[in-house]
Amino acid sequence: MKIGVYFCNCGSNISDKVDSQQVQQELEGLADVAYFKINDLMCSDDGKQFLSDDIAAEMPDRIVIAACSPREHENTFMRVLSGAGMNPYLMQMVNIREQVAWVTDDVGKASSKAAHFIKGAVKRVGFHKPLEKKSIEMSAYVLIIGAGPAGLKAALSIAETGRKVTLVEKSPAVGGQPVLYEEVFPNLECAPCMLEPILNEILHGEHAENIEILTMSEVVELTGFYGNFIAQIKKTPRYADLHQCIGCGECVSVCPVDVKNEFNNGLDDRKAISLSFAGALPNVPFIDMTACLRAKGEDCRLCEQSCPLGEGIILYDDAEEIVERRMGAVIVAVGASLYDAGLIPKLGAGTVPDVYTSFEFERLLSSTGPTGGQLVTRSGKVPESIALIHCVGSLDSNHKEYCSGVCCQSAFKFNLMVEHKLHDTHIHHLYKELVYPGKEEFFLYKRAKENPNAVFTRYRNIASLEITAAEDKEGGSIIIKNTLYEKAAIKADMVVLCPALVPAKDTGKLNEVLGTTSDTYGFFEELHGRLDSVRSKVRGIYIAGACQSPMNIAQAMTQGMAAAGYVLNGLVEGKQLEIEPITASVDEERCSGCKVCMLLCPYRAISFDAEKRKSHVNEVLCQGCGTCVAACPAGAMNSNHFTNEAIFAEIEGVLA
Amino acid sequence: MSDNNNGAGGGFEPKIVGFLCNWCSYAGADKAGGSQKSYPPNVNVVKVMCSGRVDPQFVLKAYSAGADGVLILACHPGDCHYKEGNYRAMQRHRMLLRVLNQHGIESERCRFDYVSAGEGDRFINVLTEMVETVRALGPLTKAIISDNPNSNMIEERS
Ligand SMILES: Cc1cc2nc3c(=O)[nH]c(=O)nc-3n(C[C@H](O)[C@H](O)[C@H](O)COP(=O)(O)OP(=O)(O)OC[C@H]3O[C@@H](n4cnc5c(N)ncnc54)[C@H](O)[C@@H]3O)c2cc1C
Ligand code: FES
Repeated sequence: MKIGVYFCNCGSNISDKVDSQQVQQELEGLADVAYFKINDLMCSDDGKQFLSDDIAAEMPDRIVIAACSPREHENTFMRVLSGAGMNPYLMQMVNIREQVAWVTDDVGKASSKAAHFIKGAVKRVGFHKPLEKKSIEMSAYVLIIGAGPAGLKAALSIAETGRKVTLVEKSPAVGGQPVLYEEVFPNLECAPCMLEPILNEILHGEHAENIEILTMSEVVELTGFYGNFIAQIKKTPRYADLHQCIGCGECVSVCPVDVKNEFNNGLDDRKAISLSFAGALPNVPFIDMTACLRAKGEDCRLCEQSCPLGEGIILYDDAEEIVERRMGAVIVAVGASLYDAGLIPKLGAGTVPDVYTSFEFERLLSSTGPTGGQLVTRSGKVPESIALIHCVGSLDSNHKEYCSGVCCQSAFKFNLMVEHKLHDTHIHHLYKELVYPGKEEFFLYKRAKENPNAVFTRYRNIASLEITAAEDKEGGSIIIKNTLYEKAAIKADMVVLCPALVPAKDTGKLNEVLGTTSDTYGFFEELHGRLDSVRSKVRGIYIAGACQSPMNIAQAMTQGMAAAGYVLNGLVEGKQLEIEPITASVDEERCSGCKVCMLLCPYRAISFDAEKRKSHVNEVLCQGCGTCVAACPAGAMNSNHFTNEAIFAEIEGVLA
Repeated sequence: MSDNNNGAGGGFEPKIVGFLCNWCSYAGADKAGGSQKSYPPNVNVVKVMCSGRVDPQFVLKAYSAGADGVLILACHPGDCHYKEGNYRAMQRHRMLLRVLNQHGIESERCRFDYVSAGEGDRFINVLTEMVETVRALGPLTKAIISDNPNSNMIEERS
């Protein structure tokens, strides 16, 4: 084997401390070293030309470049090798600047240390294999799960570039949580007005044809990997033709069945055929077959008969369907839900009348809500006072230790919305901590504080709050006691609990389907909290919005854009996906099928071939850390470029 | 064979192999380089992509090839570029110490520590401490015969 050693003086950065002659002497007799050449500045244009010409002239099998840190110029020299027709992996760089010349006073010692480093490289490079980057076909199509602010923004950003997306939404309507709000913090903007343009863009805009929307649908299986995923999507029947229905609502008005309206948190009734709420998009009703008389064997056809477009719009034969879609990347944007306030039973959620959760209260304030936006108690009375309980289940090691941030903001929002609606109603904020970071958020707090009808009281521990129906209704039908200060009882006609945001229902199930991971609190786990909060640990699956961490609409939108950015950057129509060659690979002869590697791999890059009973490394997913290689008890895992042989040789070399 | 490890006064100069992960510790060593502070030249760096790649055999190999000490440097807990490699490395290191102890090789000859990309000074401190510790222990007289990389046999060094 012919190995060439190139020594860079790095101007005088290296040559001041490392004596190339001494190095050359110490290398004498080292097998395979065919030549030792010195250059003044290899990374300069002249230096690169010299290297390129010299490789062409010498035709070495392997080369060693002793110069600066490989973190500085390894890529530079790899490109020179490629240009000169030599496989770039047949080189080893030796760091004799940062790790020798700059840190060793004595020239003799520095030169000797450099020689040891170079010996290691010479021994190692003999084991280098000519590796090739592979490339495979990929799909530029994208799947987005969840049509809230994050998912919508991602879908729109991608569709605007002409790319195709499929947007899968579990509920019958798009828009996520905020379409259920009347106004949004921090500036009390009208929520429907804010969201409508986006929703219209998605449904009927210039790029709408690039967006396939599957409502009442869920992803039930995902196979494949970055660039080449295949999803199975379960579509629950809507029993109405999404494309032909004009949304007039005639069918809803004739339906004889009333059921509790889950979209208003059960605060009113809806029909068996209905829209989720007035203004829900797509503006097409759905039939709830658990309630419809037809499901009970009756041949009711009232809705069909009432349809002004005639038959064929209401589809009684509609059935559950599994559709398959292929895509290069997935964006998960399934949002969050509220911590179950019932887990703190003394707060009276679900047991004391007129104790609401923040979501329920949003609906009470909404003009599309159960009371048409009239703020009244269940008995129809205008509340004289309302208590807003902050930090329900937050900042509490017995419940959720974190602060969701949005709950205080929504409580301040409630304060002002109540003030606008009912000028004389008293508002009592009970809080553990108040938070209002951000350049706009502070004003909302300030305005809430300035409301002359508002009082702020701090409590220490939610466990000491007791909310019960008052026997004496004078001054309020509900009594809120702090058991630590018996005398400090407060009366109110309504109580609003503002719980922590927690992972949406079924997040765990979805994690399993997607092969992603959840964090300590059950939210989708990000690759890196600061650098990469929208990437999951699985390559090609991105997470945006409140499913990653509690956040507000602005943040969810931004994350949706960020995820779209990753997708647009990584998947390009017609381009192939390049696979880095430094990955692990299995020697099937030696693999005993123990699966230790699979358990260790942080990227789920290793699968198990049940037929062959062997592990298999997916080169697209493998990041080349080598942890599985070090763990394999059978020595069946190899890591390209960092093979055991190469490292053993390097160890021998540096110690020689 | 040249030997940089024998100081001018003929005192014992330990030979140490340092396995540094590419992302934090190797970068930390470069950072130390950037500050141009001199430190003992006794540590021969072998770069791996992640400390999780450090196979216990590498350590045994280092001893058998003449090292008096081995230093394994990783990203700080939670910072591993590959998320968890450093936890594996830390677990393996603990296991390895048990094996080494059974064969009379002092734990101090195999140190696992964390150095981030920004911690040039920490790199110098950990390295200098290691060199001094091994210097005080003296040359390793036990040897690991591992020409067969799967063997863990430890014997007197010839
Ligand atoms: C009471 C309250 C008031 C708030 N008020 C404001 C405010 O005024 N201003 C503000 O900025 N923020 C407010 N927030 C925060 C705001 O609601 C969130 O920031 C926002 O909803 C996050 O958007 P998202 O797209 O991540 O999730 P979401 O809005 O929750 O949307 C997620 C979507 O995914 C769907 N989905 C769930 N699971 C699946 C599944 N398995 N498959 C398919 N689809 C699924 C859901 O049906 C939903 O449509 C408030 C929060 C609360 C609790
Ligand atoms: S990359 Fe540094 S320890 Fe894993």
